[in-house]
Amino acid sequence: MTQSTQSNAQYLNQLVLQIAQNNEQAYLELFESCAGRLKAYAIKCGSSASDAEDLLQECMLTVWKKAPQFNPKSASAMTWMYTIIRNRRIDVLRKEKPNLIQSFDLWPDSDFEQTHSDQFSSSLLDDDVESDLNVNLVRILIESLPEEQRQIVYKVYFEGKSHSEISLDLGLPLGTIKSRLRLAMKKLDNLAKEQMTWLIIILLTNF
Amino acid sequence: MANYHPADELLMQFAAGQLTNALGIQTACHLESCQQCQHKVRLYEQLGGDLIDISTPTEVDSGAKSRLLTNLHKLRADSAETSATSSNAATGNTATDNTFANNTGAIEDLDELYKKQLSGANQRLPRPLRRFLPDYYENLPWSGFSKSIQSYDLPFSDDQYTARFYKIAAGSELPQHTHRGNEFTLVMSGSFSDLSGDYNPGDFVLADSSTHHQPRAHEKEDCICFAVTDAPLKMTGFFGRMLNPFLK
Ligand SMILES: [Zn+2]
Repeated sequence: MTQSTQSNAQYLNQLVLQIAQNNEQAYLELFESCAGRLKAYAIKCGSSASDAEDLLQECMLTVWKKAPQFNPKSASAMTWMYTIIRNRRIDVLRKEKPNLIQSFDLWPDSDFEQTHSDQFSSSLLDDDVESDLNVNLVRILIESLPEEQRQIVYKVYFEGKSHSEISLDLGLPLGTIKSRLRLAMKKLDNLAKEQMTWLIIILLTNF
Repeated sequence: MANYHPADELLMQFAAGQLTNALGIQTACHLESCQQCQHKVRLYEQLGGDLIDISTPTEVDSGAKSRLLTNLHKLRADSAETSATSSNAATGNTATDNTFANNTGAIEDLDELYKKQLSGANQRLPRPLRRFLPDYYENLPWSGFSKSIQSYDLPFSDDQYTARFYKIAAGSELPQHTHRGNEFTLVMSGSFSDLSGDYNPGDFVLADSSTHHQPRAHEKEDCICFAVTDAPLKMTGFFGRMLNPFLK
């Protein structure tokens, strides 16, 4: 299974790299393999079906525009598309209100900067080794989380619920929600540390 | 660099796109100078991508693909036109005012506006704040009831969070106070101390209703803090009780 998710991730990466070369065929393939899940994301975040279709269009157009910036060494295609739809969702909701916080206020967007070396891609920990190393680790981790922890992580990601809202939703005490989320975060944090350790080993052996 | 960081939960909410408020701007300011937290945010973004990856697809409208192609061809035609008209402006490195494309959508027009706002801002400011501040810290229209502490209201408060800068004069001490809710503080310049530690630029500190603290700015320079509160301050000492009515 890990094998097939790995090759699927590489397939998506390849598609985006081809889109960067203005390949419309690859673009349509990407649409076919991801559109249903991107739309599902929008709906989980609270969009109506028709808003979700609009967001899907916006997201896919942004994919085309930004494909030349895609670097599979710094993030997988799915992670990259996740950041695009996340940001588009924020901006579409605020389209009429330019004074509100927009996605690029929160995440540097090289479209908006004069320089290409924005801080998120200039660090040592960056592009070359980092996430390629552990493409599937996070995924394996989510799949291994007990349902009760996974459910809470979902609520944070898709519903933007605070701890107390989640506690109301699930009819569980606030303390339980906090400790379940903390357990899930702890596992992720260990994963991050593990990644760091690998990174340090790689950096050391390279010098 | 920083010794105090946002909680993992906060970084996760940030990566989930659920902090589109004052806390989000504050977190983004911390991230600008903190590789450790950048690393975590990336991990949480990867988690977001993986959550989409393993999700069950929803059925997409039958016309969605042809709609996308139509949109794409329009986009490609527009951008061919724009690059033809602005190709000689491309050598300049400042934003040009004349690159508005007439027939692109509303979002693209806004993008131009933002680009202008960003390039016109003071580049010494943290990037997430540039669009929202008229000038660098020392030139802001500070206001306040005393010389030792002044404040400047940031324009992105909402009904949940109040965002404001505080300037504590060098060597001054704030009245002792507690908070009814949470107060998130990011040190922007200078430094301050309280009973639990020394805080320097980039440090991100959370005080909740159980924290009694009395921050003191270091002697050498004024300390500028970016504070986000989810409930108003409540002063406790004698001096605090006197000041309290003036704090909103
Ligand atoms: Zn940090």
